[in-house]
Amino acid sequence: MTTADSVSLASLEVFQPGPKGWTLEEAAHLLRRAGFAARWQEITAAHRAGAAATIERLLAPEEPPAEFQETDELLHRVAIGTGEIQDLKAWWLHRMRYSNAALTEKMTLLWHNHFATSHAKVNSVRLMADQNALLRRHCLGDFRTLVHEISRDVAMLVWLDGNANKKRHPNENYARELMELFSLGEGNYSERDIQEAARAFSGWHVRENEFWFDRGHHDFGTKSVFGKRGNLDGDDIVDLCLEQEACPRFLATKLLDAFIGPHVGDVEVNLLAGRIRHHDFAMDKVVGELLRSELFFSPASRGAIIKSPVDFVIGTYRTLDVRPNLQKTSQLLAELGQDVFEPPTVKGWEGGRHWINTATILLRANFVADLLGGQRYGEVPAVVESVPTARRTSPKELIEHFASLLASRSLGEDSLERLNDYLVGAGAVDEQRSRKLLHLLMTSPEYQFG
Amino acid sequence: MPTRRTFLKRLGATGLVSLSGLPPALLARASLAAERHQRQGSGRSLVVIQLAGGNDGLNTVIPYGNDLYEKNRPGVRIGKDAVLKLNDELGLHPAMGAMKGLYDDGALAIVQGVGYPNPNRSHFRSTDIWQTASLDEERPDVGWLGRAMDEDDSEREGTLRAISLGFDRLPLTLVAHTANAPNVRDVDRYRLDLGGRDDADRTKRRRLMTELARPGSDSASDLDFVRRTSISAYDSADRLQSLVASYKPAADYPRNGLGQKLQLIAQIVAAEVGTEIFFVSLGGFDTHSQQAGAHTALLGELSSALGAFWSDLKGHDLEDRVVAMTFSEFGRRVKENGSLGTDHGAASQMFVLSAQPPAGIIGDHPSLSDLDDGDLKHHTDFRSVYQAMLDDWLGYPSQAILGGNYPRLALFS
Repeated sequence: MTTADSVSLASLEVFQPGPKGWTLEEAAHLLRRAGFAARWQEITAAHRAGAAATIERLLAPEEPPAEFQETDELLHRVAIGTGEIQDLKAWWLHRMRYSNAALTEKMTLLWHNHFATSHAKVNSVRLMADQNALLRRHCLGDFRTLVHEISRDVAMLVWLDGNANKKRHPNENYARELMELFSLGEGNYSERDIQEAARAFSGWHVRENEFWFDRGHHDFGTKSVFGKRGNLDGDDIVDLCLEQEACPRFLATKLLDAFIGPHVGDVEVNLLAGRIRHHDFAMDKVVGELLRSELFFSPASRGAIIKSPVDFVIGTYRTLDVRPNLQKTSQLLAELGQDVFEPPTVKGWEGGRHWINTATILLRANFVADLLGGQRYGEVPAVVESVPTARRTSPKELIEHFASLLASRSLGEDSLERLNDYLVGAGAVDEQRSRKLLHLLMTSPEYQFG
Repeated sequence: MPTRRTFLKRLGATGLVSLSGLPPALLARASLAAERHQRQGSGRSLVVIQLAGGNDGLNTVIPYGNDLYEKNRPGVRIGKDAVLKLNDELGLHPAMGAMKGLYDDGALAIVQGVGYPNPNRSHFRSTDIWQTASLDEERPDVGWLGRAMDEDDSEREGTLRAISLGFDRLPLTLVAHTANAPNVRDVDRYRLDLGGRDDADRTKRRRLMTELARPGSDSASDLDFVRRTSISAYDSADRLQSLVASYKPAADYPRNGLGQKLQLIAQIVAAEVGTEIFFVSLGGFDTHSQQAGAHTALLGELSSALGAFWSDLKGHDLEDRVVAMTFSEFGRRVKENGSLGTDHGAASQMFVLSAQPPAGIIGDHPSLSDLDDGDLKHHTDFRSVYQAMLDDWLGYPSQAILGGNYPRLALFS
């Protein structure tokens, strides 16, 4: 595939802007990928601040405003109080929509997909909220610590049958997913490794919603995993997994999928795996390096990822500065195939083309139509007023403005001309026209990419 | 044999498709596809009904005369007098009156003892196996009917070839590499809203949306995939909405979920738009405890919905065009458990509803004494049924799709 070749040319060297300097489009790309897109004012502010400073702020955001914190805490209390998972979903969506720490939320979602745990089985809002807090606490921290802690996370233990894992009847569920999905990937362990590792995790139980080391059910015998023998326990297994050659590569694949796109090759995986080892699994350093890289800003990476429902919906809210109805939003996300806190299986969401079928295309299009003309999901503040005066004197300028605000991939000349014809025929560039133009741009295939 | 022109005329005349609302290229493609069907004498549809959760086959087609049945199931057995007798050994669950009627009319076939080697008792894994028709540990990412559509995709782009009804996401059975099957959660939501009140402007934007989605030159790219899907979505939504508005059912459908879905399927079949594959699911068969009530309700829903569906099709002279089949990821253990329920098992039966089946019961009921770790043994691989559907009904090359040949099963006369 041609795109794959062009990615290989880029590297993890620090990105050097072209002759025109860092562009608005590059700033918009950064805010989309490392967050959930942004308003025009935020894009221009980032553009003025420069790439280095913007990335620094994403990695180490300022304290959130008091108003955000109050609403955040209130929504959290409501969710814990009602015990309704819908309320916890609303709480998280509020964070994704409003938090100034957008990368933190993006990384938390990435780990939620990686350590995919569903309320459908855990059946406790408190435990799902605790796990979410754990993921957020370490989302840009030490991946080793994250794996150690997730291994004794109560929601995870319920999800993968911790209590069923006993010395007499080892249950392999957690040991298998730890290797297959959390740290190594298929083909990098043997069935024997899993059986032995399961014994090491035996007795890692839950009692009264707390982690509990159940000595009576733990197997203290000698186990042998990846060629290492001894009275290994669960923490030893986690360490052994993280020491495997395959682990940084597996993690690199995940990060490249999320931040660069589907067309990367072995070269990039190996490069990034090397950096993960170099930084000893410190995710802030690894992700920071990735965001600053030539690879991140390379043309082949730009607009290469099919937007997940969260990226599509929350990104649209942020771009248009919508105050959303959070409950309706969470229902929509479920219909679009990304029901947060309820991933379909422990494998998480497949992503990519799996997000797109005719039904989800219609739902995405209808969401846009409703947002720009209806009330269901929230109100869009005056669109035309958000456009700098200089950019609304002609249809052509307006189209260019919205294109640079929205598009991760540019529409073809042909399409731009058609849009221009449509607007020219309609008279003045007013609010109504602007909304119809947005409707067409946001239902375009190009807008499904981020 | 209708020509392209008469097809267009018919569509226009019946008001099924609003000619003005559709781009000419698509309409031409749709009519070509329909013409092709006509030419091949096809226009056939397969309705796949998933009984999700693992249907207790032993309490569905019941070996009422067998002592071992009574002995293994003191709590959940269906009494001899209650079963709807098919012959001296077998009877249907008492909730299946309508299906008994279909059986008596010669429309219902029962394929017994269906399964696969080394049965897996995990819902997820076994459902994947049935949906992909593959036993490989490495799960293929496409389904068996998705592969069928991939086999012959280019000429039918733009037609509403396959539809799944009522799912949050496209079921694996229909997932394909290139073909796009719409996933219709419910008909009301499967439409394209444009917003605004100015009809002329809406028509303009509707046309622009199709133009902006026109595929480019790189058909393997993600962008062209999204473009194709978008056009297919807009087009199929337009058609579906107009179909639903103009159809009059010839039967009283039960007001249950499956009945409503099958009614919609009958409407789409009647519209003759070339849809070949339908996929629906009835869930809740995972009856680990207090099985009787739930199982009765589920089989009642299946039976009444199928009964109405068949009457409706007959009322429209469409029964020759449709075959329906059921599947479930596994049957249940022969011996009941301690909570008046049954646990995950293995082999079970499949139902096939069609206007030309061979007589009634196909294959022996699996032995109740010669068991595999407490489960019924299969004698018919489920892929033999798929093979018959592909080769003898839909007309697709089964070997390429199923990756091999299976013993031939004479499902169609």
